Amino acid sequence: MKKRLVLFFALLLALVTGFTTLTTTANAATDNSLTKIEKKGTLVMGTSPDYPPYEFQATVHGKTKIVGMDVAVGQKIAKDMGVKLVVKSMSFDSLLVALQTGKVDMVISGMNPTPARRKNVAFTHTYYQGGYSIVINKSDKGIYKNKDSFVGKTIGAQTGSTMYNESKKQTSGTTVKGMTSVSDLILALQSHKIQGVAMEKPSAQAYVANNKELAAIPSDFNLSASDTSASVAFAKGSTALVNKANKSVDQIKKQNLVNKTYLPAAGKYLKTNTVNTSMFHYWKAFLTGIEYTLIITVCSVFFGFILGVLLSLARMARGGVLKTALRWLATAYVEFIRGTPMMVQVMFVYFGLGLIVNLPALTSGIIAISLNSGAYVAEYIRGGINSVDNGQTEAARSLGMSSGATLRYVVLPQALKNIWPSLGNEFITLIKDSSIVSIIGVSELIFQSNIVRSDTYRGVAPIAVIMVLYFILTFTASRILNYFERRMQHD
Amino acid sequence: MTKPIIEVKDLAKNFGKNQVLKDITEQVTPGQVIVVIGPSGSGKSTFLRCLNLLETPTSGEVDFAGENLTTLDTKRVNELREQMGMVFQSFNLFPNMTVLENIKLAPMKVKHMDDATATKRAHELLKQVNLDDHADAFPASLSGGQAQRVAIARSLAMDPKVMLFDEPTSALDPEMVGEVLSVMQQLAEQGMTMVVVTHEMGFAKSVADRVWFMADGFIQENSTPDDFFSNPQTERAQDFLSKILM
Ligand SMILES: Nc1ncnc2c1ncn2[C@@H]1O[C@H](COP(=O)(O)OP(=O)(O)OP(=O)(O)O)[C@@H](O)[C@H]1O
Ligand SMILES: [Mg+2]
Repeated sequence: MKKRLVLFFALLLALVTGFTTLTTTANAATDNSLTKIEKKGTLVMGTSPDYPPYEFQATVHGKTKIVGMDVAVGQKIAKDMGVKLVVKSMSFDSLLVALQTGKVDMVISGMNPTPARRKNVAFTHTYYQGGYSIVINKSDKGIYKNKDSFVGKTIGAQTGSTMYNESKKQTSGTTVKGMTSVSDLILALQSHKIQGVAMEKPSAQAYVANNKELAAIPSDFNLSASDTSASVAFAKGSTALVNKANKSVDQIKKQNLVNKTYLPAAGKYLKTNTVNTSMFHYWKAFLTGIEYTLIITVCSVFFGFILGVLLSLARMARGGVLKTALRWLATAYVEFIRGTPMMVQVMFVYFGLGLIVNLPALTSGIIAISLNSGAYVAEYIRGGINSVDNGQTEAARSLGMSSGATLRYVVLPQALKNIWPSLGNEFITLIKDSSIVSIIGVSELIFQSNIVRSDTYRGVAPIAVIMVLYFILTFTASRILNYFERRMQHD
Repeated sequence: MTKPIIEVKDLAKNFGKNQVLKDITEQVTPGQVIVVIGPSGSGKSTFLRCLNLLETPTSGEVDFAGENLTTLDTKRVNELREQMGMVFQSFNLFPNMTVLENIKLAPMKVKHMDDATATKRAHELLKQVNLDDHADAFPASLSGGQAQRVAIARSLAMDPKVMLFDEPTSALDPEMVGEVLSVMQQLAEQGMTMVVVTHEMGFAKSVADRVWFMADGFIQENSTPDDFFSNPQTERAQDFLSKILM
């Protein structure tokens, strides 16, 4: 099962757990989790759709939608509760935090119920018992039999996953190479950089079914059941909900629905999905990516600029207690934002603010990036204002202009002209940095390219495509900015 | 006697421990041309800037048309500043605006004059300083003498009652000093009240009504140009004149 252990997310999870236990202990006694869902009429499922055949995006009649055996499991649970299933996609690492902050009602994402995770969320019975295979090049089929055949060779596995840890532990004389994405591993395999890829059985079957060059062999890893099983996660304390879902899960197991119905259905999607792996076939996905990247960038530049002007003015406020306090606050804000990673800020706005108001991912992303950009823009503007000769202010004031009018008509226009190149750079940086919001599931370019990669099993082509797209965006932007810069030159 | 338009009473100004102006009490009556002279660093600029409150006096008062500037709120100070034009050594034209826009800005933004009226008035003023053909030029393309004449026109656009000049010709090449001084002389002849800090002794002799000699934080002498140049009273002034007349 996927089991990435990123320290940061663990910390964030702990933080959020702290918050939520504070707010939920009060009503833990009366468990109304099931009635709440029934009243709402929808069950929101969080999943990370980059893991066929568990969950992945498929193009059905020109529309992309999330499919896979986990979605089928979710549908069954929702149907048994008599409510509608809503599928929400986000990165695997964000799933449990989303569950705890109430952004989703349940998580089904090939997740295995490890003791560490049990501390934070409640799991149902397992609905699927998997195992591991090793994918190799078909031409090597006679050479490798199981994990022990790779002495002196290299096998790959997803970094931080159970496969990765077990491969290291249970082989000797074999190099284990970690990469974050399975598509990259397959690519490495086909270019003979590695000789095998350890992954889950159903995934291995999907890859082999869709690529004639590949074959799967048993791994023969020694594994405990909890390492290879998948469960549905609910918020901690929602016992009624878990009990209800367990009834559906038990039925799924008893009737062997996963192997009999869900996996074959998912396999069909995989087939239609991979018939045409040309990048042109996915132009709509890339277009959506460009659209969101531009929306995020333009909105963030706009709000970031306004915030930057306000912050820079606050930082230059001189006078009474109030103005001094304002200056200190603005300075502290700017220093804090510049001293913390944008990625953490994005996570904090989405999940942290999410505890108070439920913001959509796109809005959260725009807010976070605007807040971030504002701090940098404030510094540019402050520098710009300081670069305007004091004589300009004195001339304006001696004409009877107020300090506000002086700033607006005399100082700021000159300051902006001086810092125009820096502001332009900030805009271009934002086009590139907006990719960070892919972690909270906004469909901008990076996010879209990852989906295309896992859909097509092609590792490089989508990256090349977005590289060119990013370049076109930034190049066009810098031409436009240069044009305006030239127009502002009078002297 | 006419009522003074500017009255300075016990004015003092410190920068930290540096006592630049110690105790100044003087008056300017409407239509007078005052030339302030004195050694470098004696506080002439500081004094001039105290008159329109670009510098806040440490103590004492500055009255303009009967109102004590040091006790007024910012809004009223802004209103009174309109009536005191100031011309700086370094011109301080707005480099991002044309000559015409430089002149129109304050009338339009402060007095809310409409564009047509402001443009018309700006052209009149540019004719007065002989620069109407440069209306659409940007400041960077002007010579120092031209720039300073535009700065004078810009101040006049607010119809001030008093004009303050802080060494208006010090930054100019010698051949351009004359064109600026003649504009100032014309202004004086039209009856403008002027306080001029300058090292141009010729201008002081021919145009000033009074010469104020400043040194060591005080106005040491206040006399007519004739008296001052032919018969300085204080040793400080005699010393100063002997150095510059050499
Ligand atoms: N903003 C300021 N902060 C601190 N000290 C100042 C400031 N402005 C002027 N001073 C000091 O005040 C003194 C008088 O300066 P001021 O510019 O008024 O003299 P000045 O007579 O105009 O000289 P100059 O002929 O060189 O223009 C100088 O010692 C100067 O260093
Ligand atoms: Mg001076």
